[in-house]
Amino acid sequence: MLRYIVNRFIQMVVVFFLFLIISYLLFDAIPGNAFQNLLLNPSLPPYAYEETIALYGLDQPLSVRLQKYIVNFFKGDLGYSYIQFPKTAIELIAERLPRTLMLFSVVNILAFYTGFFVGKILAWRRGSKSETWITITSVFSYTVFYPWFALLMLWFFGLRMGWVPIGKFLTPSKWYDSPFDSDVVFLEMIKYMVIFSVLYFVITLLTKEIESLNLRRNIRLGSFFALLFISNFYWNTGQLSEMRFYAGDIAYHTILPVLTVTIVAFAGTALLTRTTMMEVLKDDYILTARAKGLSQKRIRDRHAARTALLPVVTSFIFTIVTIIDGSVLTETIFSWPGMGQLILESVLREDIPVAMASFSFIGVFALIAHFLADVSYAFLDPRIRIKSQG
Amino acid sequence: MDSVNNSENNSLKYESLKRNFNLFRQSKIGVLGLVIVAIFGLLALLQPFLFLTNIWDEATYHPVVGYDSQKIQATVVSCKDIDYPTPEYKTPNDCPGPEEVNIVAVAPYNPGIQEGDVIEQFIQPAPPSSKHILGTDSLGRDVFSQLMEGSQVAFVLGLLSAIVGVGISTLLGTIAAYFGGAIDAYLMRQSDLVLMLPTLPLLFIISAFAELQVWHLALVLGIFGGLGGSVITIKSQALQVKVKPFVDSARITGGSRMKILISHILPNVAPLALLYMVFSVTGAIASESILSFLGLLNIDMSWGLMISVAQADGYINQGMEYWWLVLPAGLAVTLLAGGFYLVGRGLDDVFNPRLRKR
Repeated sequence: MLRYIVNRFIQMVVVFFLFLIISYLLFDAIPGNAFQNLLLNPSLPPYAYEETIALYGLDQPLSVRLQKYIVNFFKGDLGYSYIQFPKTAIELIAERLPRTLMLFSVVNILAFYTGFFVGKILAWRRGSKSETWITITSVFSYTVFYPWFALLMLWFFGLRMGWVPIGKFLTPSKWYDSPFDSDVVFLEMIKYMVIFSVLYFVITLLTKEIESLNLRRNIRLGSFFALLFISNFYWNTGQLSEMRFYAGDIAYHTILPVLTVTIVAFAGTALLTRTTMMEVLKDDYILTARAKGLSQKRIRDRHAARTALLPVVTSFIFTIVTIIDGSVLTETIFSWPGMGQLILESVLREDIPVAMASFSFIGVFALIAHFLADVSYAFLDPRIRIKSQG
Repeated sequence: MDSVNNSENNSLKYESLKRNFNLFRQSKIGVLGLVIVAIFGLLALLQPFLFLTNIWDEATYHPVVGYDSQKIQATVVSCKDIDYPTPEYKTPNDCPGPEEVNIVAVAPYNPGIQEGDVIEQFIQPAPPSSKHILGTDSLGRDVFSQLMEGSQVAFVLGLLSAIVGVGISTLLGTIAAYFGGAIDAYLMRQSDLVLMLPTLPLLFIISAFAELQVWHLALVLGIFGGLGGSVITIKSQALQVKVKPFVDSARITGGSRMKILISHILPNVAPLALLYMVFSVTGAIASESILSFLGLLNIDMSWGLMISVAQADGYINQGMEYWWLVLPAGLAVTLLAGGFYLVGRGLDDVFNPRLRKR
């Protein structure tokens, strides 16, 4: 087993190395560079362009640049941004990443719960008319043309109804005399969200053993509202009571993106749950449970849904990997200043250090997830364990 | 003798096809998907037919360079900066109303025009009429004809990229499962590498240094889809086939590796591959629409481009007032992608023995 892991780890490092080289070559293949607009400025002397290029080392041959970049990368130096010069690539990512992660973790959690719930019911009511219609609706909400749908949502809720703001992360006019930096407020919000979800998770764990399904659901629901009530006091303490107004502004701006992406994302989970749950319902132990005379709801929620959860969770983990990739469109349409916009901007304006840094960030994320999935499969499934050792 | 065998074989194949189709017909969602795909297929074929038989004039109905001017009689009014509501108009946006035109807009071209005159006006985009079922866009082009052109693009691209992708991933997946060892490790790391590259930014980069035509994009999507995650799925299916007893008995009776791979393992992986193909059409159609929506494809007309034009001209923000520019293209992408997905689900529900009802 240890040999397998070490072997796999070495392969992973080689793959990452190749990934770096390929990404750099790809960025280099884009014609032009980030400083070409200097040539268009008539008030600059003609040597300004050559000097800037030389300053950033872009006049050197590709092999030298590639070698320097990779050596510096493994030293931990990802370079300065070409476009937002005094900032480094790492600083930019550290500023943008929390916004993307926050938005999409809320979306993913919501989509996972609604999707799992809908899928469970769909599989249970197989063959009924409502099942057919809900399945068809979720298929179309899964395959909807995303940018078009997001624009229509913006038009309906933002322009026509005026309930929510049209894009952006905050309303600038409210922040003119703000004593806080928006990132500080946002970090406070993330802290609050984490505490809230950990507490709720603990409550879920504690109530896991309660036999009566109704009682369990009521306790969980009650504690959820109790937590909401307590958080009211939490936001009234000390500095937080001043931040509350600004935090509310940011939260107000998240409503529409969260709603839109959840509608698109929940359907995938629902359809997957439907399939896996249908497979599980064929199993013999479900027949046994029926023969024992257990209530329908108990069979559905405790016997079938628990088993059907496993593949859904696995695919959920892989969804997390694609968050940053998938955020490009959402963030562009809703003007949400996160990782997706950073990648898009840096690719289009050829800000190579930032683009490379974000690409390698996504790459490392994906590699680690695949590695963990492989290792846990190999650990759990003896058939694969034998196969992978040759 | 041989011909008798052949015809018997053919009738057997026909029988099994018929039986399978009858199974497929039981799945309502599959049939619905098939109907949707067939309707779009008809739309795609109808347009060349209409042009060839001269029912449609190319100069009027061509999706890219066609032009048709719709004329209406408009009354000249003047909209002043005064307090609204006035007796005629509730808000500043209501002036000029339908069949009216602001004097400021027409005065430079019509010297001596007075308020209250009636003049002929071209309207673009024109609302749906008997001549143009879905109206015309901001350049006077027929939207219905564009929709048909878009479905040709979607079919060519979706099917081509799905065939390329599934061909590659089936071949590599079975090879990885059957040979194992170093080949398997290499192929799996290769698909890791492909999965690590973020799709949309990667397509941006490619479109920056290459002029992407439709079939280029189909190949790119096919190759990246085929090398990526689906290899892993096909491999896991092939691994399950590999340990079945009939593979062992084939080996014992002296079948060569190639023979076992081609005539025993591949046919058993094929149903899953077919399923994957149907699902990957969905993804390819969505990718194409997103890319042409963002203006990164070198293409004359497609559904994504129609929405891109509607958005660039600001019609999406006016909502349902110009619904014929906003709804058809977006719905077409959604419906065709969903149609293929439903066909896939239907096939899965019926042919996957673990999902079959009985």
